[in-house]
Amino acid sequence: MARPEWVKTFFLAKTAPLTTPPHFREFPHLTGKECTHCFQCMMICPAPGAIEVIRTDKPGEWKPVIHLGHCIRCGLCVEICPELVLDAGRVHTKNAQDGTYMQFQFHITVNPVTCMGCGSCTVACPVNKEIDPQLAAKGTSTSDEVIMRVYKGINTVFHEDKCTGCKTCEEQCPTRSILVARVLEPLQISEET
Amino acid sequence: MKKTVDVSIPLGPVHPIFKEPCRIKCETFGEQVLAAEVELGYMKKGIERIMVGRPWQEVMFLAERVCGICSVIHNFVFIETMEKISGVTVPDRAAYLRVLANELDRMQSHLIANFSYCYTIEHETIGMYLLNIRETVMDMLEYLTGARVTCAYIVPGGVRFDPDNEDLTRIMTAMDDVERETRRYMSMFESGPLIGLRSKGIGVMTREQAELIHAVGPTARACGITTDCRSDHPTYQRLNFSPLVRTEGDNYARVMLRFQEILQSVDLIRTIIRTLPEGKIRGGGTIGRGETTHKGEAPRGELTYRIKSDTHGRVQEISIQTPSIMNIEACARYMIPGVTSVADVTAAYISSDPCVACTER
Repeated sequence: MARPEWVKTFFLAKTAPLTTPPHFREFPHLTGKECTHCFQCMMICPAPGAIEVIRTDKPGEWKPVIHLGHCIRCGLCVEICPELVLDAGRVHTKNAQDGTYMQFQFHITVNPVTCMGCGSCTVACPVNKEIDPQLAAKGTSTSDEVIMRVYKGINTVFHEDKCTGCKTCEEQCPTRSILVARVLEPLQISEET
Repeated sequence: MKKTVDVSIPLGPVHPIFKEPCRIKCETFGEQVLAAEVELGYMKKGIERIMVGRPWQEVMFLAERVCGICSVIHNFVFIETMEKISGVTVPDRAAYLRVLANELDRMQSHLIANFSYCYTIEHETIGMYLLNIRETVMDMLEYLTGARVTCAYIVPGGVRFDPDNEDLTRIMTAMDDVERETRRYMSMFESGPLIGLRSKGIGVMTREQAELIHAVGPTARACGITTDCRSDHPTYQRLNFSPLVRTEGDNYARVMLRFQEILQSVDLIRTIIRTLPEGKIRGGGTIGRGETTHKGEAPRGELTYRIKSDTHGRVQEISIQTPSIMNIEACARYMIPGVTSVADVTAAYISSDPCVACTER
């Protein structure tokens, strides 16, 4: 090759621009579907504070916000979301193809030895407040429909199934005697049914 | 104390060819190294403490981040330990796919280990060629799992994504490329005269010494010890896996054994893709209370997780035993003493594929 040509190819050589392949599990993005603010994405997120479900300017509309500095791109929020609000890479497509999904159960355990029966957890619980507004106003309740309330001097759990796993009670407990377990089960729809 | 050595030479913690910080203190007589000591503790993360009190979906990601090179096996062994605790069974297809991801990970780990050895003996050409193959393998790992390093592929009771036929064909084609290229660079490594001078007969560890110091993984297999946790694993047994062994016990043997294992992994992946059973990829099941120990073969050797979990599957106690600590110690005790030049110290050290991130966690 002649020298000028060689110099040209050497100095002006261009590599192909870097592109992110479509199968790469990127940061989750919104698909535009309506969020029902079930907060499961927040409950499943392994990185603290990486996803938040917040109210938007429109009344009654919620949407998840991903904090990119905290997100570890695990894609679990995409898998758990029942309304398909989020998507990342091929997670969505693959889940739809294989019928794979994940399911949450929440379990509350109260340590009867250390629980003082102060009721901080019952007042703090956002689900409790919704079920019995009296809890938010007066701090006491006689309803058996709440998740938990102080009964006979100790915090008693009535409806574990209503728990959304937010761990607000755990944060409020002065003696760390209430624990919320977020039990996750990866599942697949069986082909027979 | 009577001075028997000329000078003590410290190598590291910051050294151009070390991937991770570690100090090797060599006592030398002229250029000859008489004794060596390895000092660790520059990058302790305390990751086991962070894991305590968390459920599997959080610990899984922490386990992956113990080591960046062998992340799949950490995920694999952690999840298998949790499954063993709570008696969760895995569908056949998922078991095969797990091994597929694990073997891809092993290949890229061995390739980067051989790259760093070639780089250490200043044969950067082969090193860069190897990194090129590694990219192909990493691309396949990304294609299968969605991420290059922190794959998060294995979950209790199965795997996360199911590759379809198109995906499997793509992996199969990539394996042909990888095999061809690996054979080519392996023969270059095998026949290179200067590579032979820097590798053959250097950093020799005999079988007895390796048994004494409990060397694991390719380091032990290069000394003639048939030890491989994969042969105890049910899925590998179904794939008719048998460990490869070399007998020389020098740098050359260790690097060549890793090359052979890459080819073995290629074969395993082909067998998996050919015989992949149809069916579900997730069997379901939650994690419960228990305490157990489980072993698996990481690219560097035996990896052990001991976990105690509570009723709802939160990790209460966890201790991880990683392979590199054995090999680093074997290196300081037997491989490095006796080498005739200080330049060979780093070569012998790197040939045992030390992973300080695993070791210190």
